[in-house]
Amino acid sequence: MQLKLTKQQQLKKWLLIGVTLAILCVLPFMLSKAYFVHVAIMCLFWAYMSASWNILCGFAGTLSLGHGIYVAAGAYVATILLNTFGVTPWLGLFVSCVVASIMAIIIGFPIFNLRGAYYTLSTVAIGEGIVVLLTNFREWKISDDLIIKIGGAEGLTMKTVNSPLFMQWRGKIPYYFMILVMLIAVILISGYIKRNKLGFQLAAVKDDEDAARALGIDVRAVKLKAAVISAIFTALGGVFYALIIRFLEPAAVASGATMSNQIVFGAIVGGSGTVMGPALGGLVLNLISSIIQYFLGGSVQGLHLFIYGVIIVVMIIFKPSGFITVLEKLYYKYLGVEISEALEDTESEGESDGK
Amino acid sequence: MSNHLLEIKGVHSGYGDVKVLHDINLYVEEGEILSVVGANGAGKTTLMRTISGQLPVTAGEILLHGTPVQHLPAHKIAAEGIIQVPEGRRLFPYMTVHENLLIGSTMKHVRADRQKNLEYIYNLLPRLKERETQMANTLSGGEQQMLAIGRALMENPKILMLDEPSLGLSPLLVGTVFDLIKTISAAGTTVLLVEQNVKQALKISQRTYVLENGVVAMEGPSSELIDDPYVKKAFLGL
Amino acid sequence: MSLMPSIINGASMGAIYGLIAMGLTLIFGTMRVTNFAHGAMLMLAMISAYSIWAVTGINPYLLIIIIGPLMFVLGYCTQMFLIRPVLRAESDKNDPIGVLLLTAGFSIVLENLALMIFGADYRMAQTSFSNTVFTFGNSSLSAPRLFGLIITLGVSALLWVFLQRTEPGRQLRATGQDRNTAALMGINSEQTFAVAFGISCALLAVAGLVLLPFYYVSPSVGGVFQTRAFIVVVLGGLGSVPGALVGGIIIGLIETIAAQFMTASVTSVLIYLVFLIVLFVKPSGLFGTKLD
Repeated sequence: MQLKLTKQQQLKKWLLIGVTLAILCVLPFMLSKAYFVHVAIMCLFWAYMSASWNILCGFAGTLSLGHGIYVAAGAYVATILLNTFGVTPWLGLFVSCVVASIMAIIIGFPIFNLRGAYYTLSTVAIGEGIVVLLTNFREWKISDDLIIKIGGAEGLTMKTVNSPLFMQWRGKIPYYFMILVMLIAVILISGYIKRNKLGFQLAAVKDDEDAARALGIDVRAVKLKAAVISAIFTALGGVFYALIIRFLEPAAVASGATMSNQIVFGAIVGGSGTVMGPALGGLVLNLISSIIQYFLGGSVQGLHLFIYGVIIVVMIIFKPSGFITVLEKLYYKYLGVEISEALEDTESEGESDGK
Repeated sequence: MSNHLLEIKGVHSGYGDVKVLHDINLYVEEGEILSVVGANGAGKTTLMRTISGQLPVTAGEILLHGTPVQHLPAHKIAAEGIIQVPEGRRLFPYMTVHENLLIGSTMKHVRADRQKNLEYIYNLLPRLKERETQMANTLSGGEQQMLAIGRALMENPKILMLDEPSLGLSPLLVGTVFDLIKTISAAGTTVLLVEQNVKQALKISQRTYVLENGVVAMEGPSSELIDDPYVKKAFLGL
Repeated sequence: MSLMPSIINGASMGAIYGLIAMGLTLIFGTMRVTNFAHGAMLMLAMISAYSIWAVTGINPYLLIIIIGPLMFVLGYCTQMFLIRPVLRAESDKNDPIGVLLLTAGFSIVLENLALMIFGADYRMAQTSFSNTVFTFGNSSLSAPRLFGLIITLGVSALLWVFLQRTEPGRQLRATGQDRNTAALMGINSEQTFAVAFGISCALLAVAGLVLLPFYYVSPSVGGVFQTRAFIVVVLGGLGSVPGALVGGIIIGLIETIAAQFMTASVTSVLIYLVFLIVLFVKPSGLFGTKLD
């Protein structure tokens, strides 16, 4: 449902958007340490990843705990293309997208027939399986001259080229703007999907799969479409990850504990199924985690993750629809919109694009 | 104060936003067979599930011996002696006949009577004794209904509520089930019967309520309602 | 090459997998809930037991007197205080995932709590019998594994008897088959869930104590067991206790026999493959009943 805003309210909305963007653009130049810029980049990164996951899982109501495989697809394909074939990531990212799409379709075809916990468990199994495969493949020997180094357990380091033509810039700030642009893109696309046909179909499937099928919706096809889009965005995130970290370790890139689950928690805490929720959730969770790590991390091992876990538990018990609902109310107040008419079904309706 | 066994006063209930029952007023006297009839969708099963605590009451009161019970969760209402035999029997499919009866008497205050009740029910329903060790989901429709009623009797009901016991049964079996209900009533148990088989319900009960679109449309002695022209036309096809 | 040693080792480890899976399947059968904190709870049992052993030197098996009830209480409280509110909020949804996520978050809490208190080192309880080995003909089995097998089978039998022959066991089964009708019988389903969860954790206590004399424990040890347990549960059939034991032994056998022919990690992939095949071909598993 689109909010019908008066001219004055529209002005307020765009003012808010403009100010937020302005702050985001100025921020990296205001931060004193390179470390802080890195933190800001990672916050935007996790916001982006949660938003990408949300396109399939938030909108369709499935719980994939194996999205790390698409991160791996993006990261490894781009890195290998650069290291072994000298292909720039500007082109490599397209290949990553294709690979991720194919994976999403091949995997989605059988598993989208599974329900609930079965589906989730299979994503876990596939995710862990791929991590194990990557850990065991040091290299792929095609011929005596062509050996593709994959790294295995030791990891894969991206070649340093230091050229913008290869998406490698000096300093962190270009990366900040890169991820900012990606984040804006995924949010805009999420909003677009939600407001149009695919979004309605996904919402119907999320609400009641059987009823949707009875209405004539091809449930699996709808899920596959969302899965491919989600996989592509996630893979692009993987490419970014490779560029910012420059070192790929299978467990760090794709396993549940370090990648897949973090993406999910961000989305849930923020508000799975909404347009802005997952991004905000991913950002806030990572911000809190980084702050705790900065001040306490050295002294007590595990403290920041402990607090991270507590936040998740508390949020799920007390605010299962995410903290976006709170922010939404504030937003409507700011706009001066009557809350009763604006808040229909907070969980599945979300907001119009932007903030 | 009222001395009805069960009294429903001004009760509204439904499923979320869908309101089904509107301002229901109804009472059950101790020892009688009361029947509630109505077409499909009239609210009979909703009424039953509201009384047994499976659906919340949005307004009104349910009084057992004058004490309000409408706010209690389902398992506590059962503990009060308001026992429902649900629509479709709902036996525990992967438990034997015997185990279903044992579960019926799992509440602490009825466990003491377990052996006595088991003997009574096996005597009353010898077919069940024969099938004692059989899984409940392998029984025939009639046997399942017998077992469902037997299981409810194990709970020492103050009031036994039957939700459409004749559903899906052949006319011969329907007769058997209603004979069973008569026997149970004769032994002193109060019965609240919700039925689509209006003819049988009117024949067996002392009083009847007719539900229509979630409200009580008619009420009175069954012997009178059976001759009522509207009832005859609407339900008895006469 | 004789496969006997692998078979014996695989079966004994598999029985332990089965015991761990039993708790998981019990929870699923009774509550229809996936417990993603199962591995972390196993770890908690092991680490606490190790700590007590390290200080007192008491035989780990005897520690069941302390760890067992403590784990039961942990499980009971987890259901009552953490899971119950989420279940209530989700009672109208078709595919509730809230509890899964809740337990996943709780798992992070438990793992890092352990990390903060005990540190990241790997430890094992070197008992007097840790290195004893029994030989049968050509094969041998270490003492902890043999004792573990006997205890595991014994506890499994006890669980079976509990479920089939006792009043609370019957209530558990009834609640699992139809919780609304169970309420009509006067059974408080939320309480029954808590008991099921408590038993599940108590089983983890047994499994943890059995593992301690021969398995290295650290705060991260839960993950592998949890994934195995889920695979066993699906293989054996969600909700089936005998299925969990049989499934566990099968997985244990696959693990050790396959390890003769391929590396440990490829064995892992093989097991994931088996899991996926079962999911697609016979999702109800070996002994599964159609519950829903």
